[in-house]
Amino acid sequence: MTLRVGLRDSATFANFLAGDNAAALHLLQQGGEPFVYLWGGQGSGRTHLLQAACHAESARGGSPAYLPLAALARAGTAVLDGLEQMSLVCLDDLQAVAGQGAWEEGLFHLYNRVRDAGGRLLAAADAGPAVLGVQLADLRSRLSWGPVFQLQSLDDAGKLAALQLRARARGMELGAEVGAYLLRRCPRDMHALFELLERLDQASLAAQRRLTIPFVRELIN
Amino acid sequence: MAEPLWQQCLDHLEDELPAQQFNTWIRPLHAERDGDALRLLAPNRFVLDWVKDRYGEQIITFARQQSGNGALRLVLEIGSRKRAEAEPAPSRPAVAAPGPRGDEPTPAARGAAGRRSNLNSNFTFDNFVEGKSNQLARAASRQVAGNPGVAYNPLFLYGGVGLGKTHLMHAIGNMILAQRPGANVVYLHSERFVADMVKALQHNAINEFKRHYRSVDALLIDDIQFFAGKERSQEEFFHTFNALLEGQQQVILTCDRYPKEVDGLEERLKSRFGWGLTVAIEPPELETRVAILMSKAQQTGAALPPEVAFFIAKRIRSNIRELEGALRRVIANAHFTARPITLDFAKEALSDLLALQEKLVTIENIQKTVAEYYKIRVADLLSKRRSRSVARPRQLAMALAKELTSHSLPEIGDAFGGRDHTTVIHACRKIQELKETEPRIAEDHANLLRTLST
Repeated sequence: MTLRVGLRDSATFANFLAGDNAAALHLLQQGGEPFVYLWGGQGSGRTHLLQAACHAESARGGSPAYLPLAALARAGTAVLDGLEQMSLVCLDDLQAVAGQGAWEEGLFHLYNRVRDAGGRLLAAADAGPAVLGVQLADLRSRLSWGPVFQLQSLDDAGKLAALQLRARARGMELGAEVGAYLLRRCPRDMHALFELLERLDQASLAAQRRLTIPFVRELIN
Repeated sequence: MAEPLWQQCLDHLEDELPAQQFNTWIRPLHAERDGDALRLLAPNRFVLDWVKDRYGEQIITFARQQSGNGALRLVLEIGSRKRAEAEPAPSRPAVAAPGPRGDEPTPAARGAAGRRSNLNSNFTFDNFVEGKSNQLARAASRQVAGNPGVAYNPLFLYGGVGLGKTHLMHAIGNMILAQRPGANVVYLHSERFVADMVKALQHNAINEFKRHYRSVDALLIDDIQFFAGKERSQEEFFHTFNALLEGQQQVILTCDRYPKEVDGLEERLKSRFGWGLTVAIEPPELETRVAILMSKAQQTGAALPPEVAFFIAKRIRSNIRELEGALRRVIANAHFTARPITLDFAKEALSDLLALQEKLVTIENIQKTVAEYYKIRVADLLSKRRSRSVARPRQLAMALAKELTSHSLPEIGDAFGGRDHTTVIHACRKIQELKETEPRIAEDHANLLRTLST
């Protein structure tokens, strides 16, 4: 059995490397806006920010709900019932249900109920509200009710810093040269990079070796 | 703070479960301790069943271990704690003042569903910005508010999304209340009416439901297009509607289109909707949009120069909701950077919002744009040809692909006719170097970047 020490990768605002997304991060940390919409490519930090918002909401005694719509799309809209009782509702992967009548209507009603109950709703998708493919105009306009932010992917320096931050949190040292090597050879979206980091972590534990370029080269080839 | 034993469970589960599962199913639960029972409240049946099936065993086993109480039971129920327990947000930015939700009734005031007015006191005639597009609707609403049940009954407001129908409706309700503080004014969305009715049918309380809705002084129902196809609700609403009209109680309805155009609505309802006054709200013209922006900015205490209001209003024409969203984005950025709102500042803050295509840049897209820019074919970019007229654009396209997408260098090489990743590295370095020595390349790069990111 492996000893699990400090391996929790829970997304928080503190371990989000903001890069060009500092304004969005700031706004979410303040938590004052009732409706916020984030969009960006894979690995741009949408899910991290949503889960971090949930984490922060729990920490201050609120009641957050996180809905990964890509995973829930087939389950049906019953999962939206009663969510206006929560102080924060986070909808991730809106694109997964855009264009589906029942979901669009369900989400439209949820927006209204959250507004009436005085809660907050944070939505994220891979495209902006106007081009997401939402058919119901009532919902489309509500997506733009509050500030809309495009999340910018980190540049290579930012990605390297994010990798090192994550590595340190897991108790390993990732040298700049090794990091740069990974960025040259591997898919550069943060999901893939973080997954890779986890694999490297396990491999280095198992082999009792530090992360050096020769070691990493062996592993990724 | 969470109940102490539950907090221990949370810490344990956060370590054990993938983040997505923890956030989706465990975080929304609220726990209460009740003797030997650990009571978990879930927001709905779906979450409850899921938690019971997948995590119930794990939770109770751990909770028994931690508490040393082998008799501990897990009780799952649908419900929520009182929201009032939560502390206020750490700090509220200036922009958070009267927002889309404004001053909502507090959860405590909500109490028994259907017994509350639900009026939003933030929506008044005073802060409704009048223009050509909504003049008639506003005038009619004022009259109804002044003589409820008498002037026009029903008042039927229709128009596209985000044009202020709901605002006017609340304004009428608020004015009726201001004149007659004891009046029973009820605002609700059509979905709520349907849900209440279904609940009443399930609990054999349909007579109470009828009594309740027929006893109000004014009934305000939003978005009645969502009655379409719901026959039983229409039937019930038809009788409520008739009773109210007979009793000279005011009915106000909104809809996204002219009543006769709503498919799936009974003819007898459509025709009755026309008994009072039916009035349209049109999309606001430029001047009104500017006035709305100025008014909203003033409400939030932000200094919005008129030329910035014009800039935003010219670009966002669809509806007021999106106009407000854009303004809130600009104010949020101003708040964050502590800079005054100027034209350039607004352009920058809204650059992604105003982009014609809010879509992500793909390698394909980059190749197409670069080929068009240099008047060559995409096939040339992918070909083996190495003449300068093709090689430079190819290098620039590769550099842009690295800059604007998350593809790996080997993937980018592949997308350019199966080139090696070292070729991509070389291209990026070359372009970096040329941007500094050749103004022409720097300019091309800047132009292409602009085309691709707007």
